[in-house]
Amino acid sequence: MGIVLDLLKQDVRFHEGLKACMNCGVCTAICPAAEFYDYDPRMLVSIVQSNDEEAIIELLKSDTIWYCGQCMSCKTRCPRNNCPGLVINVLRKISQELGYFTESVKGRQQILIKRNIGDTILKTGYCIHPSIVKPELHPEQGPVWEWVYNNPNDVYERMGGNFDKEGAGTLRKINNEVLGELKAIFEVTGGTLLFDKIEKFSAMKAREAGLEGTDGNIDKYIEKVNAEDKI
Amino acid sequence: MGKSIVTIGGGIAGIEASGILAELGYAVSVIEKEPDFGGKLKNWDHLFPNMRKAEEIEDYLSRKGKTPGITLFPNTTIASFENIKSGFVLKSNHGVSYSAHAVIVATGFEVFSAERKEEYGYKIYDNVITSADLEKRLKSGTPLTTLAGKTPQRIAFIHCVGSRDAKVGNTYCSKVCCVTGVKQAIEVNKLLPATQIFNFYMDLRMHGLEHEEIYKTAQEKHNIQFIRGRLSEVSENIDHSLLIKAEDTLSGRPLKMNVDLVVLLVGMEPGVGTTAIGKACNIEFNQYGYLKIPDVHLAGNLTSRKGIFVAGSCSCPMSVKDTIEHARSAAFEVHRYLIEN
Repeated sequence: MGIVLDLLKQDVRFHEGLKACMNCGVCTAICPAAEFYDYDPRMLVSIVQSNDEEAIIELLKSDTIWYCGQCMSCKTRCPRNNCPGLVINVLRKISQELGYFTESVKGRQQILIKRNIGDTILKTGYCIHPSIVKPELHPEQGPVWEWVYNNPNDVYERMGGNFDKEGAGTLRKINNEVLGELKAIFEVTGGTLLFDKIEKFSAMKAREAGLEGTDGNIDKYIEKVNAEDKI
Repeated sequence: MGKSIVTIGGGIAGIEASGILAELGYAVSVIEKEPDFGGKLKNWDHLFPNMRKAEEIEDYLSRKGKTPGITLFPNTTIASFENIKSGFVLKSNHGVSYSAHAVIVATGFEVFSAERKEEYGYKIYDNVITSADLEKRLKSGTPLTTLAGKTPQRIAFIHCVGSRDAKVGNTYCSKVCCVTGVKQAIEVNKLLPATQIFNFYMDLRMHGLEHEEIYKTAQEKHNIQFIRGRLSEVSENIDHSLLIKAEDTLSGRPLKMNVDLVVLLVGMEPGVGTTAIGKACNIEFNQYGYLKIPDVHLAGNLTSRKGIFVAGSCSCPMSVKDTIEHARSAAFEVHRYLIEN
């Protein structure tokens, strides 16, 4: 057995998510992602069930494992009580662990998510803090967003929030003690290590593509990753 | 011989086993909770594999039920069950006592309640029916239409509803639904040749000599389309037609289709009566809630208690044909037991 199969079988989510699949297709039939992408959770599970290490590595390098929206609708339908969504969780983790994620367009976006949501939660205590929702990156928020973005104190106060201030209330500032606890949780549970791996493999890919700055920054690489998926 | 037997359940298995034992000279009391005998057979129109009218078997059983030595007790249920030295004493809901040297449990099955598979919309959407409903409609001879009275342009038969499904607690195959679905598809095609028919299946379990031939005929002569995929859900369009979703697993594409009528091929479950009697007699159940037989190869009519036997689909899903054979072997086992004891 190769390293990927070993890693799969070490993960409790794999055992929870896949006992035996009879390929009925009900997961694909209910899957919202399958309506938009060339994506078939049943086939993905079928590949994993085949124990074919090479085929599974191909999956880890592909866009396929990143299409799932983790809605877990598949869990509600599977007549064998499997959950393809959980199997995909494990595949994603292994792809991050081993660096295969940098081989696909959707996979490379891990660095964007890590640097946005990942870093923001450690810095602010919020997954998504209003300060990171830059108007130029989020046209879907409409023209009013720019105004909200530039006048947060006025807006959030009127909405009953306590934006970036000490004390209780919505959008309050999270104090350093709590942030320290969050950081400790990330370290103990392996989150920090995973973040480091995403940084490391993304930097390697940037270097390989000649997109690394002289000081080691990968801004150009990130720009490219941002631009290459405009579908 | 002077020995008496009580058979609980007056369906196919109960009547067949009792008839044989009566012919052998035993006094047999048949307890039936319904006013009529014959069980669910009266709801079926044609029987696979040879499409004979179910009434032929009904007539046969009706004659069998008149065998001298049989006494039929309709509208009767068992209120208590007691062990005595020579066998058992059963008391009915009418306060009548029956003593028996041997008891046959032949309480049959229930059709799976399709409402439990809520995502298929049975009893929510007008044009979702079950195979049992369709059988009744075919038997009634009234034209097959949508609820609004239109001839359906497209019909989908959905296999494995309530079978092979951990979500409803029935992980077993009900065995009869595959061939029933193909049989009904052919019957509908004969009635409505212009209607497109689609059967959504996971595996077509066409065992035996004849069933595969029915499948082939359905494809060759009746233009029935078989799509390998389990339905995820049914929803209703504004015109009361139905939108169904599945994956066509052989082409690996999600599929949406509008149809006018959906037929759910409902599986079999242990009967309510089976559960009640099994508990009253203190015999064991298997993991699926059917009565447990001690040896699948060699003791298919025995239960966990000496002197209590099982016949028909209270032990596992069975076709009419299998039920009759199982009932005959039950009669043999009872006879052997009564000779030896």
